Amino acid sequence: MSRTSSEERSGWLFVLPFTISMALFFVYAIVRTAFYSFADYDLFKAPGFVGLSNYAALISDELFLIALRNTIGFSILVTTVQTVLALALAVLVNHAVRARGLVRTVFYLPSIMSSAAMTLIFLWLFQRDGFMTAIVSVVLAYRHHILLFFVGFTALQGVLVLNARRTYEGVSIFDPFFLLIAAIGALALVGACGLAGLLPVFDNHLRISWLNTQRHFLFMPVTLWSVALMNVFTTVPTLMLLFLAGLQSIPSALYDAAEIDGANAFQRFRHITVPALRPVTFAVVTMGIIGTLQMFDQVAILGDAAPLASRVTLAYYVYENAFPAGASSRIGMASAAALVLGILTIAVVYVQKSIGVRERGD
Amino acid sequence: MARVTAADASPSRRRLPAGALRRRQLAASAWLYLIFLAVAAIMAGAFVLAFMASLKVDPLERPFRFHFDQLNPAAWIAAARLGQEGADDALWGGLSPGAKVDFSVTYAAPAGTTIVEPRAEIPRRRPGSGVAAALMRYYAADYASIALKTSSSAMMQVRDETGILQAWQTRTFVYEITYRRDRQNGPRIERTPLNLTAPPSQTLVDSPISPSRAERRGRLLSWDNITPGALGLIFNNYRRVINETADLQTGKSLFGSWLVNSFVIAIGRLLLTLVVASLAGYALARLKFRGSRLLFAALLFSMTIPAQVTFVSNYLIFRDLSLLNTPWAVIVVVVASANVLLMKQFFEGFPREIEEAAIVDGANRFQVFWKIILPNARPALLVNAILAFQGAWNDFFWPLVLITSPPEALTVQVGLLSLRRSFGGAQGDWGLVLAGAFLSVVPVLILFALFQRHIVSTEFTKGIT
Repeated sequence: MSRTSSEERSGWLFVLPFTISMALFFVYAIVRTAFYSFADYDLFKAPGFVGLSNYAALISDELFLIALRNTIGFSILVTTVQTVLALALAVLVNHAVRARGLVRTVFYLPSIMSSAAMTLIFLWLFQRDGFMTAIVSVVLAYRHHILLFFVGFTALQGVLVLNARRTYEGVSIFDPFFLLIAAIGALALVGACGLAGLLPVFDNHLRISWLNTQRHFLFMPVTLWSVALMNVFTTVPTLMLLFLAGLQSIPSALYDAAEIDGANAFQRFRHITVPALRPVTFAVVTMGIIGTLQMFDQVAILGDAAPLASRVTLAYYVYENAFPAGASSRIGMASAAALVLGILTIAVVYVQKSIGVRERGD
Repeated sequence: MARVTAADASPSRRRLPAGALRRRQLAASAWLYLIFLAVAAIMAGAFVLAFMASLKVDPLERPFRFHFDQLNPAAWIAAARLGQEGADDALWGGLSPGAKVDFSVTYAAPAGTTIVEPRAEIPRRRPGSGVAAALMRYYAADYASIALKTSSSAMMQVRDETGILQAWQTRTFVYEITYRRDRQNGPRIERTPLNLTAPPSQTLVDSPISPSRAERRGRLLSWDNITPGALGLIFNNYRRVINETADLQTGKSLFGSWLVNSFVIAIGRLLLTLVVASLAGYALARLKFRGSRLLFAALLFSMTIPAQVTFVSNYLIFRDLSLLNTPWAVIVVVVASANVLLMKQFFEGFPREIEEAAIVDGANRFQVFWKIILPNARPALLVNAILAFQGAWNDFFWPLVLITSPPEALTVQVGLLSLRRSFGGAQGDWGLVLAGAFLSVVPVLILFALFQRHIVSTEFTKGIT
């Protein structure tokens, strides 16, 4: 027996379990889904071919259009925000050298928690008279304090910087030392005024419906904004660690050289950090897109805590049609919607990939 | 920090002296750490708050208190004493035959008003809600009696709203709760509730553990359990989530069986993943065979396709095999593409020479894999095992689809959904919901603590991408 044919045979034996699982639970499943999307099927009676009528029904189903809009809006919003925040946080942590070890441990916690447990915690935070409402309520109650702080802070900083500029050169508007003094001064000012009773405190008994509401804000239901906040909160730490690993692989000599050449902090970030992080960014954005387009768990756990139209996403729409509460399954519709979701995911990932490749070619 | 352009700098001005520059550097890093601290506080704060709330009697209370019995060592000690006196169990408390519990309360009132003895009773109160109430068989009211033992008077200084000190009188009543003599063969009772009714002119200023709630404008103070034991006081909600999510027929704890199910599924998935991923990863990395590129393409493709696209067919497969509602379905259904990819990457970095030597010596592929490759792949296998366990434990979608009944067959994640449905409304019992959420995290947390060094490594981050 020749060596190559034995290698061929053992190769096939080695991948056999994986191939079976892949063929049965993935390839066959996709083919069947495609088939059902052209059929009328309720899980019990034999499926009958109905042509494109499932797709026609989808387009005329208002809930599907809402789900599609919600999914796309949610995906764009969360992917953008989490990528930017994770990068910013990674740069920050990369500078805060002493805290790095602690960070790596603490910031892993959200990523190891299950989405179900995370969602329950956030549901509690977002109750009508829960903690989030309490925070907003405190901010509103002390709005004059906060306003005075910012006015005092800006004014003090302005005075300090202008004063220093009369004698010294090279004093930035954001001079960190003056910022610190201005912050302490403004705090003292607010404290003094508050103790003297000059600032009113507005009592309020706010109740905010974060979840159980039909309201919209910009392009998305308020409910999904709350879910988006939660999602960002959970994913940012993980993505931050990816960026951090990328940042640490950039040789610091590059920054030193740029500094000697007179590049400022922003220029260094723009021309060294961003290009060096491009592969990581690509991975982070791809993960973000895939993760957000198929967002399901959070919506399912919300359940009847929010109206269907304010929380429905494509993934949930598919499930809801396959196993509707108190009605027979609409497998045809579910399959058609599932295919739309799959194709959307592939298309977005592909487009993003080609953009990424082109940029890398520059 | 933006540099100043040449136009700004007039020759008459000086550069900042060295000391000032040093101050600026220090201030900059002070800001850095401040911002960092703020971010970390927000990140960790949400969890700390939620955990604190999960201990509270009412997690939705407003304003949110940071000082309450469950976080107060003095109350822990008192609760331990009460539990000891009630059932010889300082940790979990209770009321057993022969119990003799002293419970003292102190009321205060302005000088001139008389402090009357409050009316004390052990109410027939059903704890919690739903199933728990239906399962409750023994009531402390039937087995315990309460009597005033002693009372004593004293004075205390109270500062009124305008800040002037006033002398108030106080009276301390010591109640004795005993397990009734005529029922000495009775059962151990988990909870001893207590109601005290007193006129609104007098206020409660001291008691070993604070009342669970006040009703009728403070006239009626009620305690859910005055013999809690230390852990029974602190982790009351955690005990309740285990005990009160019970099956109506069998009385067995649902939450307990959810945990067991999740564990079985996670271990099963872990073993299956290790076998499938190490074999396939090795073959894809090392062996040349027809179709390997196609298989690899399918692997990458399957990682982008959401489970919602494939679940109808998979549901039908397990229905036809009558494997719905069994752990097998959830163990087998997931295609371990990410794990295979991780193993493939590991084996690609593995030196070829050792295997080549073994093959020259006449070992076949499988022997090489078993004797040489696997023992050296331990780090990758460990990372894979952790990822597989964690993924299976946290999985929500597949158990939701494949296991729907009976209630005790669910996994813990889907169980959390049913917890939320039963207890998580606007007026809901959020203590139970939050306690359930935190309990469900414990196994993964232990895993994380044990293998933290391996998880927080670049290999793991590679695995995620």
